[in-house]
Amino acid sequence: MKKLLTAVSVVAGLAGLAVVGRRMGRLRLSRGRAALQLVIRGGLRYASSAPRLFAAAGEHRQQLRNDLALQTAEDVATTLGAMKGVLMKIGQMASYVGDGLSPAVRRTLSRLQDSVPPMSPELAAGVVREELGLPPEEAFARWDPEPIAAASIGQVHRAITHDGRAVAVKVQYPGIAETITADLGNVALLRRMLRITAPAQDVDALIAELRDRVLEELDYRREADNQRLVAAYYDGHPTIIVPKIIDELSTRRLVTSELADGARFAELAQWSQEERDLAAETIYRFTFRSLYDVHAFNGDPHPGNYLFHGGGRVTFLDFGLVKHFSTEELQPLVDMVRYLCVEQDPEGFRASMVNAGFLRPDAPLSTETVVEHMAVFYDTVRRPGPLTITGDYASAVVRRFFDVRSPLAQWVSVPRSYVILQRINLGLFAILGELTATADWRAIAEEIWPFMQGPPATPMGEAEAAWRAGRSSAAEPAA
Amino acid sequence: MTVDPFAAAAGLVSRSAAAYASSIPESPADEGFFGPGSVAWRVSADLSSPVAGLRALLMQALHPLAMAGVDQHSDWRQDPVGRLAATNAYLATVTFGDRGSAERVSARVRRIHEHVRGVDTVTGRAYEAGDPALLLWVHATFVQSRIVTAALFGTPLAAPDSDRYVAEMVTEAELVGVPRELVPASTADLDAYIDSVRPELRGTPAARESMDYLLDPPGLDEDMGEIWQDVRDAAVASLPAWARDIYGYTSTPLTDARRAEIHQALGVLDAVFLGEPGVLEARQRIALRARAARPA
Repeated sequence: MKKLLTAVSVVAGLAGLAVVGRRMGRLRLSRGRAALQLVIRGGLRYASSAPRLFAAAGEHRQQLRNDLALQTAEDVATTLGAMKGVLMKIGQMASYVGDGLSPAVRRTLSRLQDSVPPMSPELAAGVVREELGLPPEEAFARWDPEPIAAASIGQVHRAITHDGRAVAVKVQYPGIAETITADLGNVALLRRMLRITAPAQDVDALIAELRDRVLEELDYRREADNQRLVAAYYDGHPTIIVPKIIDELSTRRLVTSELADGARFAELAQWSQEERDLAAETIYRFTFRSLYDVHAFNGDPHPGNYLFHGGGRVTFLDFGLVKHFSTEELQPLVDMVRYLCVEQDPEGFRASMVNAGFLRPDAPLSTETVVEHMAVFYDTVRRPGPLTITGDYASAVVRRFFDVRSPLAQWVSVPRSYVILQRINLGLFAILGELTATADWRAIAEEIWPFMQGPPATPMGEAEAAWRAGRSSAAEPAA
Repeated sequence: MTVDPFAAAAGLVSRSAAAYASSIPESPADEGFFGPGSVAWRVSADLSSPVAGLRALLMQALHPLAMAGVDQHSDWRQDPVGRLAATNAYLATVTFGDRGSAERVSARVRRIHEHVRGVDTVTGRAYEAGDPALLLWVHATFVQSRIVTAALFGTPLAAPDSDRYVAEMVTEAELVGVPRELVPASTADLDAYIDSVRPELRGTPAARESMDYLLDPPGLDEDMGEIWQDVRDAAVASLPAWARDIYGYTSTPLTDARRAEIHQALGVLDAVFLGEPGVLEARQRIALRARAARPA
C-alpha cells in the first residue's frame, strides 16, 4: 500500500482557540479474501442479535430536541451558515487540546454544538433517498425515523438491513458541505483572527491546512475508510471490538456500520475497580497497538466513543479523526521511548527529540533538564511494576504540556504530524486517570513496543498473543 | 467644561446577552403585539442586528436634542454598556413579551422621559425627551437601520415584507408615546420622513465623543475587538452618505467579498452571544412559539 500521507497539523487559534488539522492520504484497503469473509461472518453474527441490538439502541437514545427539528435545507443553512458550521468543526478538532482552551471559548463551542437541533424525520429521509436512491423504508428492512444520537454535522439513526444486520446510520445535514465550503472560500476573517493568536505562524498555510481538514471531514467516505481499516485489523480480537462498515450503504453523506450496544463511560465508573482496570487495559492496548501496528491513531478518544461490555471488552466508535503515520514519522517516537525507558540513554533520547523536530538542535539546555521536563510523559512506562494512573497524574501531564514557563518552552515545538499525539497525553491519560486504573503499564508496553515484542504480561495479553498468532498473514500492516 | 470619560466596554456581550435572555418570557399571557408570524420577529433574529443597533445610534446621535437628552441625563458615560443592555432588554420585551409586559416597560420608559428635559448647549434649544418629534426620530432611524443592514449584511427583506415591518413597528412608536398618525407606515414614508429631518441634524461634540467611543470601545478583549471592527465598518458603510459626511467618516465601497466577511464576523459574534448563559434557551423559547404558530 502506498505510503499514507503526512499529517500536517497545526495549533493555532481562533479566539484563543487551538486548531488542529490532519492530512490523510487516500486510503485504499485491499479487499481480499479475508475482508470478504469478515462481511459474511459479520452478517451471520448480527442476524441473530439484530432485533435485540435495535431495541437496546433505542433505549440508549440521546435526549435530542426533536421539537426544534430542522425541517429544510434552508433551516440548516440558517443554523450552520455564517461560520457556525466551520466553528463547530474547528471546535471538534480543537478538542485535541481541550484543556488549552479558555473556559469562555470552550463554553461557546459547546453551546454552539447544543444549538443545532436534529433533522426532522422527513429531512433525514431526504438525504438517505438522495444518497441511496431509495427512501429509508425501502433501503432498509427497518428504519427508525427518530435519531438516536447527534453527530457533529449529522445524526445517527438505527436500522436493520435487508440481510438482517442491526446498523447505525450516520446521516449528514443536507447542504452543510456547501455552506461550510462557501465559508471556507472567503478566508479574510479567519486570516485576521488567526493573526491575533498565531502571529508567529504562517497564517495562510495554516488556513489552507484547516480548510483541507474540514473539507475532508465533510466526506464520510474517509471516515468509513478509517473504520474499515481498523475494524479489519482487530477482527477477532479478544477484547477490542470495532463495528464493521456496511460498504453498500455508505456514501459521501451516509456512513453505515454495525450497531453496537453496551455500557457508557459514566456507567463504567460505577463498576468494580477490577472491571475498570480491564477496560483501561483494553483502551491502552488499543491505543498503542493501533499506533505501532496499524500506524494509525484515533484522535478523538473522548469518553462518548466507547461502549463497555464487561470482562475488558470494549467497542470503539467514531473514526472521523484518524491520523495515519508513515514508518519514517513513527520512528523518532519509537526511538525516544527506547532511549529513555529501555536503553537509559539520555543523549540518545535528546538526539531523537531533535530528529523528530520536537527540540531545537541549538537549545542551550542541559540534557538533564530536557529529560527532567519530558519524563512526566513517560512516567507510566519508565519502570516495571503495577502503577495506578490517577486524575492527579493526568492533570500534571496536562499542566506540564501547557507550561509556558518551563525552561523548555521556547525550545520545543510539536511538529505538525505529531500534534494529534497530544491526545495520548491529554485524552488517553485523562480517561485512564478517571478510571484510577492500575496495571503494569510498562510490561504491557513491552508487549507492544516494536523493538521489544515482549511476552504476555497479563491474561488479556495472553489472549491477545493467541489472537495475533492466529491472524492470517493476509492482514498486513496498513502503512 | 469637564467631560466625564466613558467607562470601559468590558461586558458588552455578556450584559446584553443577560438582558436579552431575561426578557424572553417563559410563558407569556399572549403572543404580544407582533406575534410569531410577524416580520418583527424575523427581523429581530437577523444576524445584522448588532450592526442595525450601531447604525441606529449613529443616526440618532445626529439629532442635537436627542443627543443632549442622553448626554445630560442618563448614566450613558458612567455605564454605557449598562445603558445599551437596558435598551436591548426593552426591545426584546416589546417584541417577544406579552402585551402586558410590553405596556409595562413602555410606561416605565415614558415615566423616565418625563424627567429628561433641559437646554441643549450647542443649539440653545430646549428639549423634552417625551417630545413626540424626538421619539419619532429615534424610532424611525431604528426601523430604517434594521431594514438597511439586513439588506446589506443579513437576510434582505422583500419589498412587501419591508413595508409590513414598517407598518408593524407603528405600534412600537405608539407604545413610547408617539401618536399613531405621526408614524410612517411604509418604507417610502419612513425614508421621506428621515430626509425631512435632515436640516435639523448636526454632529455635536457630544455626538462625536459618544460615537467615537462606540466605534472603538475600550476594554474589549482582543478577539471581540477584531469582530467589532467589522460591526463598526458595516454600520458606517450602511449610513447615508450625508450622515457619514457630518461625522467626517470615510467608507470604501463594499465589495461582495467584504460583505461576506462581515456576514461571517456577525455569525461568529452570534456564536459568542449564544455561548452566554440563557441565550440558547431564550432562542429555543422563541423557536417553539414560532413553530406552534406555523400552519401544519
